Amino acid sequence: MNDAIATGAGAATAPASGRVHGKPRGMRLGRLRPFVPVAVLLLLCIGITLIAPNFLTRGNFVRLGISAAIPMVLACGMTFVILLGSIDLSTEGIVAVSAVALSLLVKNLVNDDDFGLWALPAPILLGAALGCVNGAVHVRLRIPSMIASLGVGFACIGIATVVLGGITVRIADPLIRDIALTRVLGIPLSVWTALGCILIAWLIQTYTRLGRWAYVLGGGEDIAKLSGIPVGRVRVAVYTLAGFFYGVGGILCVAQFGQSQALIAQGYLFSVITAVVVGGTALTGGEGGILNTIVGVLLVTVLGNGMILVGVPPYAQVGVQGALIIVAVALSTDRSRVRMVK
Amino acid sequence: MSAVLTLDAVNKSFGAVRALADVSIEIGRNEVVGLVGENGAGKSTLMKIFSGVYQPDSGRILHEGTPIVLRSPLDAARAGIGMVHQEQSLLLNISVAENIYLGREAAFIRMGAINWRAMHAAARRQLEKVNLDIDPARRADSLTFAERQMVELAKALVLEEETEGHIVVFLDEPTSVLEQAEIDILFSRVRALRGRASFVFVSHRIDEILELSDRVYVMKDGAVVAGMPAAEASEAALHRLMVGAGRRTEYYREDRQAACESRVVLAAKDLGCAGHYRHVDFELHAGEVLAIAGVIGSGREGVVRTLAGLLPHTEGRLELNGAAVAFRSPVDAVRAGVGYVPQERRVEGVVLPMSMAANITLPSLRRMSTWGVLGTGGERALAREWVKKLSIRPPNIDLPCGNFSGGNQQKIVLAKWIEAGVRVLILDHPTRGLDVGAKQDVYDLVRTVGEQGVAVLLTADTLEETIGLAHSILVMRDGAITQRFEATPGAKPAQLDLIRYMV
Amino acid sequence: MRISSQTAARLRDNAPIATLVVLVLLVGVLSPTFLEANTLMLLAADTATLFIMGAGLTFVIMVGGIDLSVQAVASLSSVVMAVTLPALGFLSVPLALLSGILAGVISGVAQTRLRIPSFIATLAVSGIAAATALMLSGTRSVPIPPGMRETVLAFAAARTFGVPNDILVAVAVLVVSLFVERRTVFGRWSVAVGAGEPAALVAGVPVNAVKIVALAISGGLAALAGVVMGARLSSGSPTLANEFLLPAVAAVCVGGTALTGGVGSVARTLVGALIVSVVRIGMTFIGVDPFAQQIVFGGVLVLAVAATIDRSKIPIVK
Repeated sequence: MNDAIATGAGAATAPASGRVHGKPRGMRLGRLRPFVPVAVLLLLCIGITLIAPNFLTRGNFVRLGISAAIPMVLACGMTFVILLGSIDLSTEGIVAVSAVALSLLVKNLVNDDDFGLWALPAPILLGAALGCVNGAVHVRLRIPSMIASLGVGFACIGIATVVLGGITVRIADPLIRDIALTRVLGIPLSVWTALGCILIAWLIQTYTRLGRWAYVLGGGEDIAKLSGIPVGRVRVAVYTLAGFFYGVGGILCVAQFGQSQALIAQGYLFSVITAVVVGGTALTGGEGGILNTIVGVLLVTVLGNGMILVGVPPYAQVGVQGALIIVAVALSTDRSRVRMVK
Repeated sequence: MSAVLTLDAVNKSFGAVRALADVSIEIGRNEVVGLVGENGAGKSTLMKIFSGVYQPDSGRILHEGTPIVLRSPLDAARAGIGMVHQEQSLLLNISVAENIYLGREAAFIRMGAINWRAMHAAARRQLEKVNLDIDPARRADSLTFAERQMVELAKALVLEEETEGHIVVFLDEPTSVLEQAEIDILFSRVRALRGRASFVFVSHRIDEILELSDRVYVMKDGAVVAGMPAAEASEAALHRLMVGAGRRTEYYREDRQAACESRVVLAAKDLGCAGHYRHVDFELHAGEVLAIAGVIGSGREGVVRTLAGLLPHTEGRLELNGAAVAFRSPVDAVRAGVGYVPQERRVEGVVLPMSMAANITLPSLRRMSTWGVLGTGGERALAREWVKKLSIRPPNIDLPCGNFSGGNQQKIVLAKWIEAGVRVLILDHPTRGLDVGAKQDVYDLVRTVGEQGVAVLLTADTLEETIGLAHSILVMRDGAITQRFEATPGAKPAQLDLIRYMV
Repeated sequence: MRISSQTAARLRDNAPIATLVVLVLLVGVLSPTFLEANTLMLLAADTATLFIMGAGLTFVIMVGGIDLSVQAVASLSSVVMAVTLPALGFLSVPLALLSGILAGVISGVAQTRLRIPSFIATLAVSGIAAATALMLSGTRSVPIPPGMRETVLAFAAARTFGVPNDILVAVAVLVVSLFVERRTVFGRWSVAVGAGEPAALVAGVPVNAVKIVALAISGGLAALAGVVMGARLSSGSPTLANEFLLPAVAAVCVGGTALTGGVGSVARTLVGALIVSVVRIGMTFIGVDPFAQQIVFGGVLVLAVAATIDRSKIPIVK
């Protein structure tokens, strides 16, 4: 469905009446646009500080870091998917399966497994495998990623529920809990993990073909195909990469909550898409990246944190995020270039 | 002179339309070959054969004397064939260097990571070939059109390092987005590069072709009608070859061309649209066929899109029956009685999966309903009437439009507008892709609606058609009107008169 | 070429109904009580809300969009109704429907004016709807005052000649939807927009208005589904319809309405909704873990979409 949404590569579809054109179209996009999210973030911080001075405390910053960690890790994966111009609605499902797998492999109150830290690769590999399935369904069956990932995501929630029979698994392995509790240089390990994921994502985005090809596919998949880029494999690889990050997210969820259940990641899909889009990564693909996503995640987290400090009930957050998505997409869409919106 | 690339008796048809008929051409070593022809003469089909997008129905492609098969653009690249497209094919969201080495990044991978320094250095070497001094790390969208064109040329020249043999670079209408100074630079680059590659320069601008080429081929109606050294060709001679033999008056039903009424239906007063056209003035009378002539980029496409409601004008006035109008969308245009017969018939003309009957009534549904509820039966009777009137074949009113031939689809489009009772009909290349018989039917219909007092604005595929159908002609170039001609039967202007103001 | 595409179309037209018949017979053989009148009535009642929601969604999918907000809108509407019932009486029902229509209009305006793809616009609106529902309900389930269910909400909760009224509401929705789809200008316009938006635009079809109305219908019918559900369960809740999005999308797609737009019908969605219900009940009969049904529906959705979309319309599948 997205094919028609955006007219991929700008000049390729620009009217050919060149000589009366002034400047090339790319130059009209304000160079300032990438900095808008940063400015909004700063203004938001200032605004909240004025209303609630305890925003600027060390304790609150750590709290911010902790609540940003999981969305940040998940957003690393989502960013690459959105760079393709696609979407991934399976995030919550894959995180749930990974989290359930981890909680059943470490010391827990349901079965007798106790693999300790050796269990850590399992959720990550599982996440990557499910991401791969997701991408393969989308590419092989040639159906829009929205539907492929919707189906896979619900199936994953189903798997997690069936495995647990609808119960909650509490974990009893202190080492896993330590990921959320132990602090190094005053910062919890979970936040360090998120920073590590950012670094990995940035390296992939900047130094690997996969990362660059994600931009290429988002900028113009037809041109990519003509240039001999294996577009199908790139798509599957990107979804696998996303699944990898969701797996890591699953670990952080278990560590943070000390338990797992099928709906453990409920609500994250929404805030992750909001964060990626608000950061300035375009839904049409090819624009933005992991640095934008950092800003976006911070924006969403600070907003949530600020709303609590100011006294807004927490359930209003999802509504504010919804409004934020609309505003952010509206601002980042070059409406003159988009002809058909499905 | 040994030929690098040879096309030997190549044929290519799309349905009933013969796009290439027995085309044979040769491209010699270090030669600049010019290829001229009107729109629709077969130039772009030829290019697509060379770039591996289309495969010929019959005939051979020879590379250095040996037959080759080009199944994809990658095959073409392996044979040393590079393309610089008219619609620029750079990705605007990545850097210049990445564009140059798109799909070839493997050469710069060291231990799993892209060695940017190496890629930028290599890209800089490619850019030096075209004498372009820009930072390869810059994003492509920060370049001017001329710079982008040079980058595309540099990208095509990467083939030098990859193929053993001699390379051939196709330049497809490369000047259409450039200013004169930029064109001069492009030409001097091509001349400087002749030592290392052959070029095929495709254009409808004869002056430019003659300036740059060693040898010229002229195409018309899918065939090569002449090939000669540029030194022996003159602009006038090429024009004559391009447009072919004189026109036949009966072909365009000139006998049925009645004098138009004096009533002005549509008037443009100093009409302009930023980036597309400016200072456009004309009056369109009831029953008149007003044609706009001009090459791609002349601005006539913009005027047509404005009248169809697809490109709102930014300056001047548009008047319909004396009252100022501004079409913000086709809804406004259709309400005002302006119907658009688009060039892209299968995309904008008919809704392919819908039945013929539903397509014919689509703009008239408001009239055919009460409180939004459609009557029963009326639609089918109406569609049957049109089948009879226009002899639409097959006469099955429930058949989806996608199953009709191009000519019958065009009849359905015209029926749709006549049924809607339009007072102005915009015909945008109405005979594109149609065979001779279907063209005749369209010409007949144009005369019929004219007799009924409908005003017609026409942009035609060929000058022959333009002159044959029109009462009067506007010529546009670079976004503005350059000349007006009266074209009453018996006093029609010559094609060369028009061309003088087109290029 | 033409023959094969026609065969494919015929297959697509008849496969859903054939599937339904086979499924009913299969479940009937495995568990003969399934074919008794009472069980079938229960099946129909269970399908009613799903169908109402799917019917609205069909209009959006017909024009080539999607509405991911239906479950949040249905929940919101149940809350609006439950909260305002004591004060407004029957007026709370139209108010609840209005809340759904409003949500649809917001999505539609975001899609057409701000040029945001419908899936993201409706996803965002679903967040707003969910937050509103949580706020109005104080995050709790809101009981419907005793007595009102039998009086004010009788149109949805009572029985007429032994037939549960939610079935009758669904039948009314079916009849009206079929009329809109087949006999109105709007119905024809939606087919045109879904089947060939550029050509529809050139022919003077008010494409943006059609898209907004389609989303408004979807919002309105999702809200109606919420009202009926609330009436049945005697309460409104911000999570009332939480498991409904996937079955609703699946019902539309399994019925044979193509996600690419232009092909489909509310009648097909009825078949699709029945298939979803039969599969669900059948699985319960056979003893499939109810939690595992999500997995089946996920797979069914993916396969149904793969079988029905028109790939010539989407050269690049994103």
